[in-house]
Amino acid sequence: MDIQGTTMPAVVHALTRAATDTLLIELRHPDAAGRLPAAQPGDHIDVRLGKFVRQYSLCGPATDGRYLICVKRERGGRGGSSALHEELRVADTVQVSAPRSKFPLVRGERTLLLGAGIGITPLLAMAEALWDDGAAFDLWFYAPDRGRAPLIEYIATRPYAERVHLRLSSVGQSARTALPDSLDRADPDTQIYVCGPTGFMEHVRSHVRAAGWADEQLHQETFSLNAEAAAGLVTGDEFTVRVASSGEAYQVPSGTSIADVLRFNGVDVELSCEQGICGACLIPVLAGTPDHRDEVLSEAERAANDQMTICCSRARTAELTLDL
Amino acid sequence: MPAALTIPRECTFDPDDWRIIARYWYPIALATEVGEAPLGVKLLDQPLVVYRVDGETVIADDICPHRGVPLSLGTGDGRGIGCAYHGFRFGSQGRCVDVPAHPQAKIPSRLNLRTYPAVERYGLIWTCLAADAETEPEIPSHPHWDEAEFQRINCPWIDIAAFAGRQVEGFLDVAHFSFVHLKSFGNPDNTVVPDYAAVPTDDGFEVEYWSSVSNYPIGVVDRGEPGFQWLRHFRLHVPFTATLVVHFPDGARLSIMNAASPVSARMTRMFAPICRNFDTDQPVQAVYDFNRIVFEEDRAIVEVQKPENLPLDPKLEVHVPADRSSIAYRKALRGLGLGSFFTA
Repeated sequence: MDIQGTTMPAVVHALTRAATDTLLIELRHPDAAGRLPAAQPGDHIDVRLGKFVRQYSLCGPATDGRYLICVKRERGGRGGSSALHEELRVADTVQVSAPRSKFPLVRGERTLLLGAGIGITPLLAMAEALWDDGAAFDLWFYAPDRGRAPLIEYIATRPYAERVHLRLSSVGQSARTALPDSLDRADPDTQIYVCGPTGFMEHVRSHVRAAGWADEQLHQETFSLNAEAAAGLVTGDEFTVRVASSGEAYQVPSGTSIADVLRFNGVDVELSCEQGICGACLIPVLAGTPDHRDEVLSEAERAANDQMTICCSRARTAELTLDL
Repeated sequence: MPAALTIPRECTFDPDDWRIIARYWYPIALATEVGEAPLGVKLLDQPLVVYRVDGETVIADDICPHRGVPLSLGTGDGRGIGCAYHGFRFGSQGRCVDVPAHPQAKIPSRLNLRTYPAVERYGLIWTCLAADAETEPEIPSHPHWDEAEFQRINCPWIDIAAFAGRQVEGFLDVAHFSFVHLKSFGNPDNTVVPDYAAVPTDDGFEVEYWSSVSNYPIGVVDRGEPGFQWLRHFRLHVPFTATLVVHFPDGARLSIMNAASPVSARMTRMFAPICRNFDTDQPVQAVYDFNRIVFEEDRAIVEVQKPENLPLDPKLEVHVPADRSSIAYRKALRGLGLGSFFTA
């Protein structure tokens, strides 16, 4: 998967150990006086290192011109987090995307933030914004123990630190035993934000539903490679795809794949995995430049731009002509 | 050394595919099976006879050049083997050394057997039907096999009535443990496959697969730490050999080679040399037994898969992310120029 949309260089200003196997990375504009584009609380960015492109939530203040991301080394992952841990050095330049929103903060009368493990990161950006607004909020932070609670030293330096309630399963306070009492009573003026492992979020969701909260009051972001990939795979600018044999042209909106558009219009295409891993839907490209988002093509094949996977890849040009 | 590559009689493979896979090295027998008596085996539809003469291992076409009787029906005495029909004798390098009907006559050179190179490695006899005299034997590496603290175990081979490619793909598969291996090590409640990547290598690819699926036999008290993350390090060497190193707690390692020898397009002899650095004082019969259960569980599936060949075109079967190994395997085989192997 490539970075979606335009990229910009950012310089690694500082690397800090934020917990066991967890790295806090501060990115800055290459010019000392420059500022990276402002973000919204809850935004994430794409970061490219070598062949890896990964999404990370911003965890610092959204508008100070710097990006703070926190990366946990995933031993079972696909190599992106390990590459960042092993290869990244202070003063390196990396390519990043502009901030994107998938987890926007909707201001309510009161806000409850619940994070577990590395899922704390977008919630810290929200806490920062809510504090600046003088809003009523609390942040409940669940971790196995202090050594595996990312960013606790960083949190202690922030003005909102007094609103953060650390709950450690090592002392018997897990999400199963120590959810905040305020979740037990549904309150129409409170918004709830949850981020963490799937099991944690499912537990909070069932607890909240049982207590009578409305679904619209619960906002959540999953930290899962598949969910991230599925959600991000086919978003991007709208473009036109043209079928060479018939000359017909179709619009491909954001969130819809070329294959879906073609099939909707009665053009027969063969698909298998539908997520850019198998190569069954590779189609020759006659004109235009693809935006390759699969993991099938090699670097050289990508650069040739003469074929593409139509289940997930998009266009860098306004129009693509496919040999169909 | 074969002068020219001849497609075997009644070849079950597509001839173009046969010429490609005949270039690779395969085990054809356990070293302990081969002695003075002629042993008949088959590789890629080619019947072969294997025997030892003065310590030398001879591999030749299993047919007497005189009147076409399989030499594996004959007898051997350590100095050569004799044909069951007219007693013609063959010795070192497959040379004909005696025609009993005419003890004093010149022996025609066409009575010499067509032979193939023999290499003993991992307790197995390896050969190649299309070996070039100049090229070194290319036998895939077996992790840890030569390390002193490892115990080397040669499990009996298992015959599988299926194509080698299907069998190897089953060995690489990480999503079937909870369904197929319920008598050996699988956990029916642990079905989710964490993401992993297949990384290309010079002759295939490798996968480091991390999961919580234990490798202890069912019924054995879990000796691992709770929550232990198991690493299974797979390496695939085209076309039909794979290795797996299972990383147990406390530095214990189990290294398994799955060398699928393609007897024909629909028959595979699976050799499994195993080495380990734990329980090295335990009897190997337990390893044989456990290995047998695991591979029998796999065999039941592999023998019923349709189509019988391995569909290399990604359009022909459906792929999910857990299949990254399978996708990489089929891609690597396509990269050799292989097609459909045979028509099911």
